[in-house]
Amino acid sequence: MSAQATSGAVSIRDALYETPGPKTRVKIRIGTAVSAVAVAMLLAFVVHQFWATGQLDPRYWMFFTQMSTWSYLFAGLRGTLAVALTAGAIALVLGLALMLGRTSGIRPLAALCRVVTDFFRGVPSLLLIYFFFLVVPQYGIKMSSFWMITLPVALAASGVLAEVFRAGVNAVPRGQTEAALALGMRPFRVKLKIVLPQAIRYVIPSLISQLVVVVKDTTVAYVVSYPDMLQNARVLITNYDALVSTYLVVAVIYILLNYAINQLSVYVARRSGTRVVSRYSTNPA
Amino acid sequence: MGLSELLATYGRNYWEALLSTWGMTALCFALVMLVAIAVTVMRVSPFKPLRVLGDGYVQVFRNIPGVSLLIIIVYALPSLNLVLPYRTCVILTVILVASAFGSENFMSGINTIGVGQIEAARSLGLSFGKMLRRIVIPQALRTTVLPMTNLLIAVLLTTSLGSQVPLDPPELTGVVSYINTRSTGGILAFGIAAAGYALTAVAIAFVGNRIDKKVRIVR
Repeated sequence: MSAQATSGAVSIRDALYETPGPKTRVKIRIGTAVSAVAVAMLLAFVVHQFWATGQLDPRYWMFFTQMSTWSYLFAGLRGTLAVALTAGAIALVLGLALMLGRTSGIRPLAALCRVVTDFFRGVPSLLLIYFFFLVVPQYGIKMSSFWMITLPVALAASGVLAEVFRAGVNAVPRGQTEAALALGMRPFRVKLKIVLPQAIRYVIPSLISQLVVVVKDTTVAYVVSYPDMLQNARVLITNYDALVSTYLVVAVIYILLNYAINQLSVYVARRSGTRVVSRYSTNPA
Repeated sequence: MGLSELLATYGRNYWEALLSTWGMTALCFALVMLVAIAVTVMRVSPFKPLRVLGDGYVQVFRNIPGVSLLIIIVYALPSLNLVLPYRTCVILTVILVASAFGSENFMSGINTIGVGQIEAARSLGLSFGKMLRRIVIPQALRTTVLPMTNLLIAVLLTTSLGSQVPLDPPELTGVVSYINTRSTGGILAFGIAAAGYALTAVAIAFVGNRIDKKVRIVR
């Protein structure tokens, strides 16, 4: 989605304007200066607010120069990544299964898979987490905190991934299926050998960008007290009594991590000449 | 607990929670559209500082986890002399996150219009404002119906962040943990709330699809 928005040879936002004449050039220059001052004042106000409330005090920031702080935060980040990658792997398998069921042509199975897909896309992951945290133990099933966060995140992602896979399958030209059928291949074999390999190649960038959603969903791990990065940040806060600085640093780490994942998906998409399918560009539930 | 007993005891809570979720979703989405338009205008303006600010806004808020942002707004802003009521905190979080995606939707809507159309409009002598009003905005809006429908569903789901702060009345996710701390609601207590979300999402998607079929430009 951002691939077209942030780059491109002749981006549309430049095409909107004709080459400015001398009068317009002056206007643009004045506008640029005024807006630069406005942006600078906004930044100055934020910094001033930090300074006035004493949040720039070194005691709030100095502990970030210690190795132990970072190793503790990165231990949390490892926890976050462990949940995100496990949940992502489970969601891949489940999403693929849901999509195969939905496009199988067997009526009851297709209907069931459709309902399940729509359900997981239409329910917030937090509600699923509460389900595993509050409801599942009522039936006497004991789970570790790792699985209490990983399973709901995986289920929530599987609904979206099923739709992403379906978009990929729809992007494979119909003629290919028809040709394979005409050669006498069984429908299941056609799907396995002809359609899926192409569909999966088409959706790889979209799968990568879905990892961002999974990483974001893992941040509620503190509900089940699993030690992810946000949970470890809370411990740091009680140790150093530095709430604002710690939460800001953690937010920046999350932003950089997700930005990197997004950039990777854009890069892969550009290399393979495909489009990133997100939950915003698939058909709604 | 059976369904009838659950509804007799907590029916009112569920109803109020559903209304709370719907209300927050509607309010947030309206404000998300306004903020997204403002950010998009900044991103296509000819002024470099505004473009950079708009692009930065989108990159920050589409990549920050909602919970992390909510925690900053609820717990960190008071240290900076800015105390907001809990409901406002949740609404602000949802608006910041969703408007970044909304602006991305608008940008890709604008991007589907060919450069040739802009050049054609200009060579016909249309002024800049007229070009935006007659050529760019109508087409951009028509192609963003489907993404914005998805965004509305995403806003509905994101309001579940309200369960992380004390709200009165709680919203639909919060009410599940409220009920489960008082009695063993079991799978039904969860199912009612989940049905509330899923059915709302399906209804939104149905309406969105209908509108999209009517206005979509087939290219």
